[in-house]
Amino acid sequence: MSDTTAMASGHVLQRARAPVEYNDEVVKKFMIASMFWAIVAFSVGVYLALELTWPAFNLGYAFTNFGRLRPVHTSAAIFAFGGSMLFGTGIFVVQRTCRARLYGGRALADFIFWGYQFFIVMAALSYVMGYSQGREYAEPEWHLDLWLTLVWVLFLVVYLGTLLRREEPHIYVANWFYLSFIITVAMLHIGNNLAVPVSYWGAKSYSAFSGVQDAMIQWWYGHNAVGFFLTAGFLGMMYYFIPKAADRPIYSYRLSIVHFWSLIFLYIWAGPHHLHYTALPDWTQTLGMAFSIMLWMPSWGGMINGLMTLSGAWDKLRTNPGLRFSVTAVGFYGMATFEGPVMSIRSVNSLSHYTDWGIGHVHSGALGWVAFISFGAMYYLIPVLWKRQAMYSTKLIAWHYWIATLGIVFYITSMWVAGIMQGLMWRAYDSFGFLQYSFIEAVVAVHPYYVIRMTGGLCFLAGAFMMAFNMIMTIRGPKAQRIALPHGALLAGE
Amino acid sequence: MFNGRFNHGIIERNAMLLLVLALITVSVGGIVEVVPLFTIETTVEHVKGVRPYSPLELVGRNIYVREGCYVCHSQQIRGLRDEVERYGHYSLAAESMYDHPFQWGSKRIGPDLARVGGRYSSDWQYGHLTHPQSLVPESLMPSYAFLSTTVVEDADIVAHLRANKAVGVPYTDEEMKAARDDLQAQATPGADLAALQKRYPKAVAVPGNGHGATEMDALVAYLQMLGTLVNFADTSTESLQQ
Amino acid sequence: MKREAGDIVMGGLMVPMGLLGLLVASRAVDSEMYLFGLSLAAFAALFGFGLIKRHFDLADTQAIHTKDDPHV
Repeated sequence: MSDTTAMASGHVLQRARAPVEYNDEVVKKFMIASMFWAIVAFSVGVYLALELTWPAFNLGYAFTNFGRLRPVHTSAAIFAFGGSMLFGTGIFVVQRTCRARLYGGRALADFIFWGYQFFIVMAALSYVMGYSQGREYAEPEWHLDLWLTLVWVLFLVVYLGTLLRREEPHIYVANWFYLSFIITVAMLHIGNNLAVPVSYWGAKSYSAFSGVQDAMIQWWYGHNAVGFFLTAGFLGMMYYFIPKAADRPIYSYRLSIVHFWSLIFLYIWAGPHHLHYTALPDWTQTLGMAFSIMLWMPSWGGMINGLMTLSGAWDKLRTNPGLRFSVTAVGFYGMATFEGPVMSIRSVNSLSHYTDWGIGHVHSGALGWVAFISFGAMYYLIPVLWKRQAMYSTKLIAWHYWIATLGIVFYITSMWVAGIMQGLMWRAYDSFGFLQYSFIEAVVAVHPYYVIRMTGGLCFLAGAFMMAFNMIMTIRGPKAQRIALPHGALLAGE
Repeated sequence: MFNGRFNHGIIERNAMLLLVLALITVSVGGIVEVVPLFTIETTVEHVKGVRPYSPLELVGRNIYVREGCYVCHSQQIRGLRDEVERYGHYSLAAESMYDHPFQWGSKRIGPDLARVGGRYSSDWQYGHLTHPQSLVPESLMPSYAFLSTTVVEDADIVAHLRANKAVGVPYTDEEMKAARDDLQAQATPGADLAALQKRYPKAVAVPGNGHGATEMDALVAYLQMLGTLVNFADTSTESLQQ
Repeated sequence: MKREAGDIVMGGLMVPMGLLGLLVASRAVDSEMYLFGLSLAAFAALFGFGLIKRHFDLADTQAIHTKDDPHV
């Protein structure tokens, strides 16, 4: 019998086993950090949206302008918020599914937590001070890259060490995704950040590669920052927290296998779809397009596996708003992983590249998939970690869900319209055969959609404040008299 | 024949095997797409004119990178009819061969800058960077007036050229020796630029204020040479093939 | 909670890390490296302090329990 059913079906395991003392302290720290960074990331995002709507908000200072603040937002969203979620849930999941305490001891676990937070803060400060490698999602300079590598290797050590000392013979599917996320991000980070510093006592460096080769390496990295950091790792989250919250086994073990291996193989090839019609050679562009389209299938395999896990338990969506977040996340995941392959088609890309359609696509994935699956996991985890009966207010979770969803809808629809409008205006010819619109006319035309986008971001931020309030009230509230864990959870000591 | 469930169990029971197989699986795509770009000789077209950045241009480029200009401006004209008409000849791989890092960009909140060199006067560039809305009222661009008040620290310019050389940019010893002087000369009104322009053809002298190059001078010097190096009238279609 | 070897190892490693931070700050040629060096030194100092504090806090709690326990 597969371990997936044994794990998630709620059956009491027959053998009496000594309870494991898990390291939940470090998981709690990462959850608090995630909530904090979510608010920072969304706030900076809203400020950027303000700057694009009314450029006076750039204020004229170097450290508040769009160019320096943008990486603060992207790093906060991906690495600070997303990363803290991945570290925290990864550590929680690997311990529980292996029935083993985290390898390496508590001091090492704390060093990983504080070391990662240190990286985040130093990176953000460096951007506003005017230091950047000029590579998207890899802006930190070489000294910070080295520090991150150290923290990352230690994370791999404690994660792998825990797997190696597991009591369960089979490694649960969530861990395949977390493990591949950890090692692939390490490979990508090192490959993309190879550089020569001007001086070992200065932050400025020059990339090892240049021009077209550098472009390929950057998007080999950049697309797989999405594919492994924001997808594989969060699929690991999905594979644990959806079955737990729904109290159902994962829909199909066989689909897990096929989807896992094909996803991690195909994703890597997708990078060139960021470079269609550029000076990247045609053969590379074609490979990128073909593999991006093929990638649709394993992505939807994951979506099907996640959604069908709810079969027989759809009624839980009425009563469990946290689960609503997770399931909606999988829906947005399916949407974004269909939109992505469509945008990878060269002819579609000839319209969409450089436009706000790309921004819309990114945010449907980032808000709809990444943030929502994180919220679902957190609403499950917070009561479990702090040993509370439930979250302080279930109603507030529902409010969060609806205002956040509204925010996403505003965001992506406004960006679809803006993006397609830009693409069409840039390529429009008048009846005399001249280009119809100057560039600035397209800028003016999308202004109203920038207002709507900013409103969407404000809604999403408001939802995050609700969540933070709910989290604080839950933590400060009374401990559960009897630990009434959700039905699917294993008994004390698990 | 392959029985998925049974064989996969072997991987699931062995963490190191899972790790190694996953690592191999994720390595394939990168190797296939990246390595041939270094080995296929025509990836970078054989055209004449592309040269390393002059010291002042390099400083300007570093400012472009650190300010995140690439998040709003692309530097890559695609081979599409409307794009070529709006911005000029499509961008060649050769034109960014000395760009460490590349700055092709992925978003156009502002226009593409691949061939902005010489499109506007230096006065226009200074005015626009200082206060964009004074020249383009609906512009979303922030003000970069602060660049005018920051003097370029040129003491370590040779170290910058040396670092570029370490990653493959062919700066000569002569260029490194003259680096500091070249940097200041390019921003000094009335300076003798013959030697500079011999070392760096088509380098553009910027007005400057006579008190040492400012960051604004450097950025304008960089912008004014973008896309100007290759003479397309003089280039055959064969040499453009990748 | 008991004492762990990791506490001593990590604590020991904070010493060279702090010194590295000070070295970097002292030789820094730009504001970023200067800030990084100082921050690294501060991180090492605070982390090490945290380890020491936890050690003594745990020792205190154990001492209290031992004092109250008639069977020890």
